Amino acid sequence: MDYVVAVLLPQLLHGLVFGAALGLLALGLTVIFGLLGVMNFAHGELYMMGAYAGVGVIALTHSFWLALVVAPLVVGIIGAVTEVATLRPLYRREPLYGLILTFGLALAFREAVRQLFGGDMRRVLPPISGSTPLLGMTYPNYRLFLLAMASLLLLAIWLFFTRTRAGLLVRAAVQDAEMLDGLGVNVPRVFTLTFAGSAALAALAGLLLAPIFTVYPYMGVEMILLAFIVVILGGMGSMGGSVVAAFVIGVAQSLFSLWMNPQRVAIAIFAIMILVLIVRPRGFFGREGLLE
Amino acid sequence: MSNRPTARIVGWPALVVFAVLALLPAAPFMSRYYLLLAFDALLFGAIAMSLDLLIGYTGLVSFGHAAFYGLGAYATAVLLERGVHSLWLCLAFAVLVVGLYALVVSYFATARRGIYFALLTLVFAEVVYTFFRYTQTFGGSDGIQGLPEAWLWPGVAIDTPLRKYYLVVVYLGLAYLACRVLVASHFGRVLVAIRENEDRARFLGCNVQRYKMGACMISALLTGLAGAIYPVRSAFATPDLMLWTESGEFIISVMIGGLGTLTGPIIGGVFFTLLRDKVSSFVDWYFIVIGLVLVFIVLFMPRGLFGFRHLLGLRSWRTTA
Repeated sequence: MDYVVAVLLPQLLHGLVFGAALGLLALGLTVIFGLLGVMNFAHGELYMMGAYAGVGVIALTHSFWLALVVAPLVVGIIGAVTEVATLRPLYRREPLYGLILTFGLALAFREAVRQLFGGDMRRVLPPISGSTPLLGMTYPNYRLFLLAMASLLLLAIWLFFTRTRAGLLVRAAVQDAEMLDGLGVNVPRVFTLTFAGSAALAALAGLLLAPIFTVYPYMGVEMILLAFIVVILGGMGSMGGSVVAAFVIGVAQSLFSLWMNPQRVAIAIFAIMILVLIVRPRGFFGREGLLE
Repeated sequence: MSNRPTARIVGWPALVVFAVLALLPAAPFMSRYYLLLAFDALLFGAIAMSLDLLIGYTGLVSFGHAAFYGLGAYATAVLLERGVHSLWLCLAFAVLVVGLYALVVSYFATARRGIYFALLTLVFAEVVYTFFRYTQTFGGSDGIQGLPEAWLWPGVAIDTPLRKYYLVVVYLGLAYLACRVLVASHFGRVLVAIRENEDRARFLGCNVQRYKMGACMISALLTGLAGAIYPVRSAFATPDLMLWTESGEFIISVMIGGLGTLTGPIIGGVFFTLLRDKVSSFVDWYFIVIGLVLVFIVLFMPRGLFGFRHLLGLRSWRTTA
């Protein structure tokens, strides 16, 4: 019982916290994939730029909360400009080109940030300190805030897609962009705004996780692979699947690290993915025939 | 078809190019530094060419070729470190190791198409990377450093930049010949058929997955052999050789040169290596330049450098077999 309370429970919560943030990242990735057919390699860099934009704002204003508003806006705008300038000309081309283009963008973004902020690790102090007694243990307040915030965001996104006209348009564009275009909707604008939104979500995830992890130019590279695995596991293009898979991976990673060293954890996560794909080739909720 | 004279399959321009490459060290400007740079450039070109078999001819984008490359390099490094100096044993060991790994990867990855294939190869490669990065037997993140020279046969060490250069020229020549023969063969034509329309190829009675696995294996083994040659020049093998960004650079080279041309990716690889070398000697933000070059190519020259010729209407390059 002591083991459960002192070790297992906190680790489980860590996993949920991480999973929620990972969900924000993977959700943007999967929506863009469904919409544009592009597996966005630069998504990790948008995540990283969110953390760095936050670092910049905090250095200027000493306010984490202001950074939490400004960083997604800045990265969202960068995302929108990038989409219009580079992805828009590729709409009718093979998805392969999008993959390679975003790989190039990722290289350029990463290096640009390294030049601007330097390559060393930075820390962001959590804006909420202290901890709360919870179920017989104490748990850091900031992580509880992160879990609540990310869960609320996920809920808000779900409401956006199911209850608003804008969300309906995005889903319609995923289904059949040409038909939507024929109905008089400005489809390129839907694409651009969705891309900006997904960039802003990635930035938010980057900044929210910054006080837990460290901020450095390669943080996106490490994260994007996990996000890819989440998207594949959930079933490509399935939003609900991504969120479920994000929590599964978050908790699995966190619990595995109790019994294994980090590299074994990484390999175990890869093994989970490969096994799931053998048993369920389209992931948890993937639909047949989507972009194959 | 496949018993046409070699010269006709390879084509006389290629023979001229290889003659020039063979004579290149005689040029006065070829210092030690440039010989080794040429080694890197041609090796990169050879890898890009092997990858082109998969991307350009079969239509499968592998994001995991760095693992084949790195495994080949480690195979040589492990043997050299333990006092086995024979180049041939190193190459044979690399074929064995890379072959076994490629068999597993290609079995699972070729069952899926498109983006799934790309991501599966990526994840498999990442498993290998993680393994070598954290296994102290293989030096962990430092890799295996300070390797002795390999021997062509006892007494003849591949020690001078000139010998290393000729090693890679010979490898490139043989690999190029193999690829040309392959794409001109029945096997190569089926690969193109799969690229063009996989379902139709299946209806015509081709065992599509077997052909895809074959293409994967050949491409992986050629890349692995290139990897096995690398420590002969560098005297080290590090896990960074297997990083997925390395796979990305291979794809960049193929794209720069032009898909499905074999010759194009070789030039793409050479161009990429020289670009990286030259830009990085001027500025330390060369990844911005390389990233933007890639974006530019995708946007404006999707068929690569040879595609540009094609656009100008000069002469359509021999594309597919």
